[in-house]
Order: sequence, then structure tokens, then C-alpha cells
Amino acid sequence: MTAFLLSPEFRVVFLGIFLLMLDSFTKTDKRYIAWAGIVGLVILFGFSFFPGLPEGVFPPGFYLSDPTALFFKRFMLLSTILTLALALDYSKVYQEYIPAGRPGAGLGEFYILPIFACAGFMWLVSAADFIMIFVSLELVTMCFYVLVASMRKNLLSLEAGVKYLILGALSTGFLVYGITWVIGLTGHTSLDGIREVLPIVPQGYQVALMFGLGLILVAVGFKVAAVPFQFWVPDVYQGAPTPVTAYLSVASKAAGFVVLMRVIEPFLTVPGLEQKIVTVLTVLAALTLLYGNLAALPQTNFKRLLAYSSIAHAGYLLVGVASVGAEASGPAVGFYLGGYLLMTFLAFLVLVHVGRVTGGDDISDFNGLGRRSPVLALGLLIAMLSLAGLPFTIGFLGKFLIFEAAMQSHQYLLVVLGAVTVACGFYYYLKVVRAMYWQPVVAEAPAIPVPVFTRFLIALLSAAIIIFGIYPQPLLAMLR
Amino acid sequence: MTPTLAHYLIVSGLLFTIGLAGVMLRRNIIIIFMCLELMLNAANLSLVAFSRYNLTMEGLPNYNGQILVFFIITVAAAEVAVGLAIIVALFRARQTTHVEDLDSMKF
Repeated sequence: MTAFLLSPEFRVVFLGIFLLMLDSFTKTDKRYIAWAGIVGLVILFGFSFFPGLPEGVFPPGFYLSDPTALFFKRFMLLSTILTLALALDYSKVYQEYIPAGRPGAGLGEFYILPIFACAGFMWLVSAADFIMIFVSLELVTMCFYVLVASMRKNLLSLEAGVKYLILGALSTGFLVYGITWVIGLTGHTSLDGIREVLPIVPQGYQVALMFGLGLILVAVGFKVAAVPFQFWVPDVYQGAPTPVTAYLSVASKAAGFVVLMRVIEPFLTVPGLEQKIVTVLTVLAALTLLYGNLAALPQTNFKRLLAYSSIAHAGYLLVGVASVGAEASGPAVGFYLGGYLLMTFLAFLVLVHVGRVTGGDDISDFNGLGRRSPVLALGLLIAMLSLAGLPFTIGFLGKFLIFEAAMQSHQYLLVVLGAVTVACGFYYYLKVVRAMYWQPVVAEAPAIPVPVFTRFLIALLSAAIIIFGIYPQPLLAMLR
Repeated sequence: MTPTLAHYLIVSGLLFTIGLAGVMLRRNIIIIFMCLELMLNAANLSLVAFSRYNLTMEGLPNYNGQILVFFIITVAAAEVAVGLAIIVALFRARQTTHVEDLDSMKF
């Protein structure tokens, strides 16, 4: 019991509650709540490198601790830290859009809700039981409903909130109905129990079992933004506050992929089901790759461009998941997500500052950024090149590992499709680079001041992208 | 005629379909939200039916399924609280609860 209370999730929840109390005693400057949150999470991130819970499933069968879970817990902590850093820089814009009863009203929640979402994410990556998956997923989703719609004087944010609410609740409906059928036919809620029972489930039940699993796949498809369940993504990403968009596109996607891999794993052991699941995943991956990359081509709004790019990256990740049987497929997906975290947050960090000064997030707002603010421009250049997949960046290595896994499991069609769409990616990512370095500066555009902490983060993320792109062994060692 | 598992599953399937059709076809956000709750309750009904009719070795119902029902009810209540708050905020800003009016983002 004590070991359980000391698990990292409870520490994160305690931190959140502590900050909520701090918030109610803070009258003036709310920003140090975010600082306290960042410091607290950095300490918890450090703790995760000390020996913690032993490996294995804990007695009630809900909670699982293994290297993958540990890797993704660190991943979630890191992305929450970066989200809070983004939120700090975004405070000024955010405050304009909330009804100002008293100074700083609403800011505290904006800093604290991501911490509770983080706890939900960490439980999610450790979940070994459908009840646990459902409850922790809802904890996360509920925090995001509030965060997305939280700029209540901004129509875009409200619209995004309502769209996210309806489609999120719809995917919850699919998830629970699918879970119901799987539980009903196997008689177990835990993934281990299901794995044991599946081989003796009568042949006649397989159709019903596929129906249940299919509904669960639909729900997870919504979360990871796989085509054809992606239609909410561009609107929600554009309307939500920028830090929330970043958090949504990184942490939510990663959690979705962890759940996807954990849930399908027991079903892949059944010979009759394996082939069907692989076919479904292959089709999903192919559609997502094509749609995400092609729809990104004509975009003029940078936030929308990143939304379509996030769909495209979901496509590459699905290629990794569809490479069933390849030993390297799990680590490849983990590595890709790690790289995706670094480059996406770097891009959003630059976007927050450009948006703060120019007041918009169109690609044309980046015109001449290379001369107006060389630091931001260099950061964004590295992020874009890595997202596109230029060699010597982490983005290239991620794609390489994914395609290697796909080759091992003979998914040649997906590899060809992936290679073609990477070329598409170069076009739309370099469009931003072109705006920054080859377009003239708008006459009245002011220089963009960048705080020291942000400079530090940009340097750190850029360095990590390049260093892990050349020397990926430390990251891979965590995943094996 | 005593009701069997199949009867319960058919009713729950109907509830789920009505809910899904409502989400797809209706244009008022409040009604869409009600249909979403219907979908969750369809799951509750079939969970309870499965757990009542598929007894374990000891002849007891499968309680894990019933536990999940309690969690679904709780989560649905929380979702309504958050959801209605967002819909009210939208109504204050736009004086509408129709999905057709949510079209400010197009490319």
C-alpha cells in the first residue's frame, strides 16, 4: 500500500493539489504557480531515474510497471514541463481572452490542469486493465475539455471546445461499448486475463469479439488522429490555446499509441484474429499517411499546418504499429514519439512567441523572421528540418527505425507509401523555412524579445534533436 | 417467456444505435449530448446483462463488469457537468446551440 501511494502518479496528484491550494492564497502574480509546477515536475522527473517500483503487475491487476511504462512516464512528465513553460510565455495572450473578474482570474487553473492531466497520462501508460484504461483516459479527456475551451472570450477556443467535447464523448461511447463486448465474451477485465482466455473462446464468438475490438480501435483512432477519425483535429488544434494544442498533439497522441499497442497485443496471439487486425492497421496507416501529407500541402495557417502534420506523423507511427511481428516495432514507435516530442514542442515554442507579437499564427506572420529574431528562426529551422526528416536529426532516425521494422514484417507497400509522403513533407515544412529566410520583412514588424528561459529551452531542444539524431543509443537503451 | 441474454443485448444495441444516429443526425448540441449519454447507458445495460448471465465457476456474477458500470456512471456525470458548462459558455458568446453555426474555422 505504501509502495502504491509512493508511485509517481500519486506524487503528481499531490503536487497538483498543493498548487491548487497555493493558487487560492495567491492574490497578485499567478505566474509563480507555473514556476512551482515546473520545479516540482523536474524533481519528479529526476526521481524517476532512481530505483522505484519493482517490475510486474501489482496485485489487484490494474497497474503494470515495465520499461515501456517507465519510458512513457518520463515522456509525459517532460511534455507537461514543456507545456507549463509554453503556458508561462502564453499568459499575456491568454489573459486577454478570459473574463477578468479580478487580476489573474483563471490563470491558476490554466497552469494546474495540465498537472492533473499528466497524472492521468501516467496511469494510462501503466494501465493493465480495461477499467483502469477507461478511468485514466477519462481523467485526461476531462482536463482537456476544460483546457481547450478555457479562453471563454475567444470564439475559436469555444468552438474548438465544443467540437472536442462532442467528438471526445463520442469516442468514449465507442470505447465503453467495445470494452463491454470484450469483457462480456471473455469474462475478464484485465489484459492478462483476456490473453489467457482468448485461445479457448469458441470460434463462433470471434465475429462478436472483432466487433468489440473494432469499436475500441475506432475510439483509439480518434485519440491518435488516424484517418478517417481525424476530422476534429484541424479545428480543435487551431482554436485551442497554443500550449494546449502542443500538449494535445504530443502527450495525447503518445498515450493513444501506448494504449493501442497494449490492447491489441493479447489479440495478436490468436491465429484467426492476427491477420484481420494487421489488415485493418495497414489500411488505417496508409489512409492516414496519404491524407495527412496531402491535406497539409495547401495550408496557410501555421497552427493548422502543424495539425495536419500531426495527422501525418500518426500515419508513420501506425506503420510502426502495423509492423506486427518485427521485434523492433515497439522500440521504433517509442523512439519516434520521443523525437516527435522534441521537435513539436520546439515548433510550438517559436509559434507562441511569434503569435504573441504579431497577433496571428499564419505562415505569413513568419516572414523575415530570420532577420527579426535569429534565435527563434534557427530553432524553428531545426524543428522543421527534423519534422521533415532530414538526415542527422532525430526525425530522420525515427522514420528510419519505423521503416526498418516495416521491412522486417514485409509491409513493403507501407514503406513505399511512407517514402513518397516524406517527399510531400519536405514541401510543406520548407514553406515555413522559405517564409522565414527568403520573404521580405513587413515594414512595421517589431523585433521579438525572447526571455532567457525560453532561449535556454530552444537551445536544449535543438541540441537534443541533433545529438540524438547522431547518437541515439541512450534513448534506445531505455526502450529495450 | 423469460428474457435471455440475447434480449438484453438487442435492447442495448438498439439504444447504442439510437444514440449514434442522434449524434450524427441531430443539429442541436444539447440533444447531441443527450444522445451521447444514451450510448454510455447502452454499454451499462449490456455490461450488467453479461455479468448476470455469464456466471463464474463459483456460480457468482462477474463483478468486475459491474464495477465498470459504476465508473461509467460517475464519469458520465462528470462529463455532463463539464460539457454543459462549455455549452453555456458557448451560448453566452454566440446565442446559439446549433452545430451549423460553428463554422468560423475553414481553410
